[in-house]
Parts: sequence; structure tokens; C-alpha cells
Amino acid sequence: MALIAVSTVLRAVFGYLFLVLTVRIVGRRPGKQLTPFEFVLIFYLGGLTLTGMVGTEASLTNAVCQILTVAMCHYGLSSLRFRSPGLTRLLDGVPLILMEKQGWRTEALHGMMIKDDDVMAVAREQGIHNLSGIRMAVLETFGQITVLPVQPEQQDPEQQDRDSR
Amino acid sequence: MTTQTHTTPVEDTVPRVADELAVGENLAFQRRWWTFERIIWPIFLLIVVFDLLGGLGHGWLAKAKATTAGGALTLDYERIERANTPSTMTLHFSPAAIRDGQIKVFVSDSVVQELGAQRIAPQPAVSAVGEHGINYTFAATVSPAEVQIQLQPSDPGIHRFRLRIPEVAAIEARVLVLP
Repeated sequence: MALIAVSTVLRAVFGYLFLVLTVRIVGRRPGKQLTPFEFVLIFYLGGLTLTGMVGTEASLTNAVCQILTVAMCHYGLSSLRFRSPGLTRLLDGVPLILMEKQGWRTEALHGMMIKDDDVMAVAREQGIHNLSGIRMAVLETFGQITVLPVQPEQQDPEQQDRDSR
Repeated sequence: MTTQTHTTPVEDTVPRVADELAVGENLAFQRRWWTFERIIWPIFLLIVVFDLLGGLGHGWLAKAKATTAGGALTLDYERIERANTPSTMTLHFSPAAIRDGQIKVFVSDSVVQELGAQRIAPQPAVSAVGEHGINYTFAATVSPAEVQIQLQPSDPGIHRFRLRIPEVAAIEARVLVLP
């Protein structure tokens, strides 16, 4: 009987860590605004993990203990992440420059499976209509693409002219 | 009375890129991570293929057969099972196992306790407690006869079991129960 209690806690720990790893590997696209494609992934992963975590123990006691276990795991991981820059990089990744004044960073775009259209969509949201208006595009660790506009005095008139044509 | 708060100087710990913006990009780390991803995806694929083949239970690799010397009893079972998941163990008896219209078989208690026997079909005429197991007696009029035991193991691990036809032969086997 004691083994059952231990196994439910261990299952909760495993489920949490396994999901953290899987979501980290799957990519950082799930971010501020989820596309329907990413909604499916997040809910499906969560649902499938739940089945294995709960097992045959459908009691409220089990649910409370597993929730507390996951909460403690999350607190522990957050605490370690706060103390260790290496773990922060491992868990969150690092920001990646997708575009700068020299052009697109194709290695970063291919590596993260982000299309230039994705960057342009974010740029349009900010009222930037062409490439010459982008000073830098960065994929943040939380999955959002940040587009920094060119300051008016930095804009190249020739490039602006080419883009408008 | 004033309340003092502790402050630290504002410093930029994130490296600047091209002298214009502090992004904190670390391409060396990111390249190592991409290498890790290139390794992990094939491993994920291998796990799924291994599962499809039955390496994690319920498939071709998991199925096993054991026969006693002389062939009185043949056992179909799964050498790899999954915890809390039903499966079936089938015992096939040849005419050599039938005596006086009866089949007697000893099943070790690990089949009931560790492998979680839920149901036995057909129902035995007699169930008697034996040494470290149960002696079942079935009425058998036709041969080959077949008995099915439905299992649902709850504890992961390697579990050994033993089936024996008294005074004829025995089968000993192991089952790996995955969590």
C-alpha cells in the first residue's frame, strides 16, 4: 500500500519533468499567442500525461498529493533556475537574432523552423510594412518574436525606395 | 520614520551585439542544443518503432510461447506487460494432460498476486490451495483443451511464475511488467 503512495508521487514527478523536457525539445513556438496547431499539441500532451500520472488512483487524495508534488517540483526547478544561469539556458533557451542589418540569419531561422513570413507578420502588427523598416528581429526565450523598428534617422533612403517599388 | 530599501546598481549583464543592442544571444549554446535535438529526434522515433514492434508490450516482440517437455502443456503469454493493463495468458492442453476426463494444473501464486489474475475461463470445477499456489481441476472431454487467464498486473518489475501439470511437466517463465 505504501508503494502505491510512493508510485503516485513518483509518477507525478516523472510526468512533470518529462513534459518540461518534451515541450522544450518540441520547440519554443508555443508562446504568447497559440496557433490552433500549437493548441492541439499542448492540450494533447497534457491529456496524455494525465492518464499515466493518475493511473487507477482516481481519488481526491491522490489528486491533491500529485498537485502538491507538481507544485513543489515547479518551485524547486524555478529556484534552481534562479540560481544557475546554465540551468536557465537549458530550460528556457537563449534569445536568437533572426534578422539584423546584414540580413536574415538563415541558421537561426532553419534551426527554429521559423519562416521569414512569421517575422514579417509580427512586423506588420507593429506598423512596419517592409524589410527596410526592421532594425532587428529577435526570437525571445518565451517564444515571442520581437521586431525592433529602424529609427527614422537610420533608415537608408535607397533601400526604402527599392522596398516601396 | 523612514523605511529603507536595499538597492543594487543597475548593470547590464547581457552582452551587447554589434554595439547596439543587448540581446543575450549565445549561438555556441544554441548550436549545442540543435545538435542535441538532432540526436534526440531519432531516439524518439526508435522508441515509437520499438513500441510498435511490441518491445514495450502488446506486440510481436512481447508475445512468447513455452511448451513442456512432451508437449502436454503449451503456454501463450506476453513476456512484456504494462502495469494496470489487461492481457491474456492461454494454456493449451494436449491429450497427454487429460486424465480421467480431467485436467489438473498448478498455478503459482505469483500469477494471482503479482501478475494480477482477474478471471479464469472456463471456471475450474475445483480450486484448491496448494503449496505456493493454487491447484485447479477442469473437466475436459475434448482435446486440445484451452484455458484462459486474464491478467492485469499492478506492480512493475520482473515477475516469475510457474505452471505445472502434476506428475507430468512444468513451465517456469518470467514476465517484465513496465510502469
